[in-house]
Amino acid sequence: MKGFEFFEPTTLAEASRLFAEEHAQLLAGGTDLVIGMKALAETPQSVISLQNIPGLAGITSDADNGISIGAMTKVREVELSVDIQQHHTALAEGASEIGSIQIRNLATIGGNIAHASPAADTVAGLLVADAQVDIASADGERTVSIDELFTGPGQTVLVPGEIITRFRLPNPASGSHYIKHKIREVMDLAFIGVAAAVNLDNATITDARIGLAAVAPTPIRATEAENLLKGNEPTAELLEQVGEAAAAASSPISDLRCSAEHRKEMVDVLTRRTVQQALGRASG
Amino acid sequence: MSEYTVVGQTVARVDAVEKVTGAAQYGADVHPAGMLYGKIVRSKQAHANILSIDTSEAEKLPGVRAIITQDDVPSGRRVFATDKVLYLGEPLAAVAATDPDIAEEAAELIKIEYEVLPVVQDVMEAIKPSAPLLQGDAAKDGPNRREISAQIRKLSRDKENDHSDEISKLEAELENYPDEVYYNISAESHSEAGDVEKGFAESDVVVEDTYVIPRVHQTYMEPHVSVASADSSGKVTVWASTQGPFAIRSGIAGTLGIPLTQINVIGTTMGGGFGGRFGVIITHVPAVLLSQKTGRPVRVQMTREEEFTDGRPAPGCVIKLKTGATNDGRILAREALAFWDSGSVSGASIGSTIRVRGVYKIPNLKVDAYGVHTNKSGTAAYRAPGAPQAIFAGECQLDEIAERIGMDPVKFRLMNMREEGDEVPAGGSEPKVGYKETLEAVADAAGWWDREADENQGWGVAVGDWTNGCGPGGVYVSVHEDGSVRIFHGSMDITGTDTAISQIIAEILTVPYESVTIRRGDTDSAPYSTGSGGSVVTFTMGNTAKLAAEDAHRRILELASERLNMNVDNLELRDGEVHVISADPPKSISLGELAAYSLSTTGGPIVGKGSFARQSSTPALAAQIAKVEVDPDTGRTRVLKLVASQDVGFAINPMAVEGQIEGGTVQGYAWAMMEEMQYGEEGNINPGFVDYRVPTSADLPTVESIIVEVPAPNGPYGAKGVGEPPITPTLATMANAVKDAIGVRINELPIKPEKVIDALKNNGHGA
Repeated sequence: MKGFEFFEPTTLAEASRLFAEEHAQLLAGGTDLVIGMKALAETPQSVISLQNIPGLAGITSDADNGISIGAMTKVREVELSVDIQQHHTALAEGASEIGSIQIRNLATIGGNIAHASPAADTVAGLLVADAQVDIASADGERTVSIDELFTGPGQTVLVPGEIITRFRLPNPASGSHYIKHKIREVMDLAFIGVAAAVNLDNATITDARIGLAAVAPTPIRATEAENLLKGNEPTAELLEQVGEAAAAASSPISDLRCSAEHRKEMVDVLTRRTVQQALGRASG
Repeated sequence: MSEYTVVGQTVARVDAVEKVTGAAQYGADVHPAGMLYGKIVRSKQAHANILSIDTSEAEKLPGVRAIITQDDVPSGRRVFATDKVLYLGEPLAAVAATDPDIAEEAAELIKIEYEVLPVVQDVMEAIKPSAPLLQGDAAKDGPNRREISAQIRKLSRDKENDHSDEISKLEAELENYPDEVYYNISAESHSEAGDVEKGFAESDVVVEDTYVIPRVHQTYMEPHVSVASADSSGKVTVWASTQGPFAIRSGIAGTLGIPLTQINVIGTTMGGGFGGRFGVIITHVPAVLLSQKTGRPVRVQMTREEEFTDGRPAPGCVIKLKTGATNDGRILAREALAFWDSGSVSGASIGSTIRVRGVYKIPNLKVDAYGVHTNKSGTAAYRAPGAPQAIFAGECQLDEIAERIGMDPVKFRLMNMREEGDEVPAGGSEPKVGYKETLEAVADAAGWWDREADENQGWGVAVGDWTNGCGPGGVYVSVHEDGSVRIFHGSMDITGTDTAISQIIAEILTVPYESVTIRRGDTDSAPYSTGSGGSVVTFTMGNTAKLAAEDAHRRILELASERLNMNVDNLELRDGEVHVISADPPKSISLGELAAYSLSTTGGPIVGKGSFARQSSTPALAAQIAKVEVDPDTGRTRVLKLVASQDVGFAINPMAVEGQIEGGTVQGYAWAMMEEMQYGEEGNINPGFVDYRVPTSADLPTVESIIVEVPAPNGPYGAKGVGEPPITPTLATMANAVKDAIGVRINELPIKPEKVIDALKNNGHGA
């Protein structure tokens, strides 16, 4: 590890000013950053801990605004939150797929998203929750929708000095689900990740959202597939079309884990399964 | 009920407390005052000429104390590459600095100028004439050319008769095999019994296939580490995490020209080895060189990434296998042609190709094996080196034959298994081994005979054989005035061997296991001991311990005879006391009293000595059955049941034996389903646990272990080495179960989801 300066600011404004400088990195849970620094893949000159800034951690819930998750909330807390398990099951399931319990006790949801890996396990769940991302800097605050946050692998719309503070999930789904394609049962990275959320009015799907991870340079929504579901009653034929539409929306790469072709096929298979599961939850 | 009181019982391991409390001292816990940190400078190319190595910038970095290259190696044995690198991560130099970060920075500052050369990673490409010749090797003939050339040579030697016609005919025949000249060959191994061509001709069914097994890493938890300290007199002390301290001592002596007695190797608690912890070059020699140059202790410790790029993993291989059998289930012939991916070093494991013969009566057998150079690190031993690969091919093909002739896979195996006195193809006569007992035990326990399977579920069976090694060892045992017993030896404890040694000595001296303690010495103090690998320790050190305890036993009776004034024939050692046989009233004297008495005798204290080198070993069999469920849409396989039996001869500590069976089986499962070192033009591309997957406890149900005991004539209490056999059949067990589940066979490991999907598609199943 290379030497660096370490800061522990107590206000967002202070953190933002420090973070706006060159070669600065934010430290949230540290489960990605510290490993990167040890491997010399990351060589920040200053590391700014968000630990001492009040108000960044914790989950709140109210009837009008839905659920709000502070960026410094531990992934384990997201996984175990009864509110999130109930209203955003896909997000809780995604959180439960990250690393080991020890890692999830350290890692934060803000870090998982700001790292901007297309394979992040919480991202598909946030996509189908229509999450709004609150961002703060010394110049003020702004909000972007989660599906506008990412611009490429490891890249976001955040400019120097901007810090994610909160994820707001205003629209609960009546059923949602996340499936990760992997080899090892636990502690594996997503070969692909698929989340689906649906709302039902009797048998008719009133709203549907499908989020895909690790199948494109950024996490994506499969909007064509979603539109096929909206206003319709689910049938086996429809689900097949939805799977195919989701696969068509993906543009995966081949790498050492598997081929692009396999990823595309799995988008098809797992979208069908995920939607089916979400529908089951919505009607059950 | 066992006739024994301590052996054959499950007892707590002698190292249980130090392991559980974290008190055990591993290599990285050693920290002598003034210690420097070493770092190996590694090639960033997989194949390149080295044009220059410039250390000047690194030397200027504050905190750097020494930089060494091959020029510093007195014997000239290759420690660092000089003119050419053969794989990504090959050592070029080493740095010692006051801080690990400085050492790392200095390593980065050393400028290497490369002339990049073409790379070859695939063995089947490397043997072609178009491949780059990596080590200037001469080409070798394949099996047919080899045979014809041998005939030509034989005829040419006969000077009395004119064979020129025959010779030119044979020379013309050579032309029929233009592709049978292999390049980049590092070693070869050939065996033959009977006449395979005749055997195939007589067969009703002949199956031929190619099996591809990947290179896998031993993934011991503790990466290689050594701390070396050279003092001003030239004496070198090395704290080494190794399976064989005495081998490390001689390796350092040979490489660096230091007299043997000037080197003391202290083995530190081993964080796993599995055969991969014998290398001397890897960290020990650089640490000694850096310490000699700086006059300070130096630690050289590999990172996990370095373990993958420059460890000595198990070789992958490609095995072309052909088997012939009759419709009534007799195997008549088997022929194997194997290419082992040796990487940059010659031919580890290739001799194990012979294990395709399994434990079956195969009258006609032919095995040809070649080691092939590629642009990878060298390979070494991994738990039954070479056997899992060869047995994977052999046992998968047996199932294919069983299916073609419509015979149950277990019955087919039982029918062909060798029995005592049968000829071992290309290998002498079969001793008494529980082959059938072991397979029957696993079949019964797994419920094979009335097995049921839902859709996409399947059952697989396979067996694997292995014979433990043997080597020299020495043990001292002394009895103290409080009746306690102390053992002293020089062998590294490898998952329970010290416990087994302690049990054996407690048994013979009739004392409670708890009153025996065991101490391992370093190479300066302990008698020579063979390395802890090849399943040798319980066999070798168990026999040695027995001899030492029996020696002490003799001295104890001698002392009691003196003290009680009785003939030794009237005395017996029982429950830690020497009793006078049929004395009325009973008369006895305790071991403690005898030990105290011994201090003032002419003969002196009770010290037993055991020294042992060789006895012939007996093969062991592992038999396993798995039940799996395959998801035909995602290709993921779930293990529902995994049952493993093993003929262990005699289980000195049943729980430790079960631990070995479980551990080996899980490693075999991992090799079959997920583990694989992946290589590209640039070298190893998955050098870490993110993309080199080892299983967790969530991947498998509890392995059910079944101990079968058919005693080995020369083993202590009949014990055989138990560590290696359980990994040998699991690769095939898994592949056979997957085949049974989905009807499609996958011959290229690991059986990853994508391969399952592709195999189903190629068979018209389609996702």
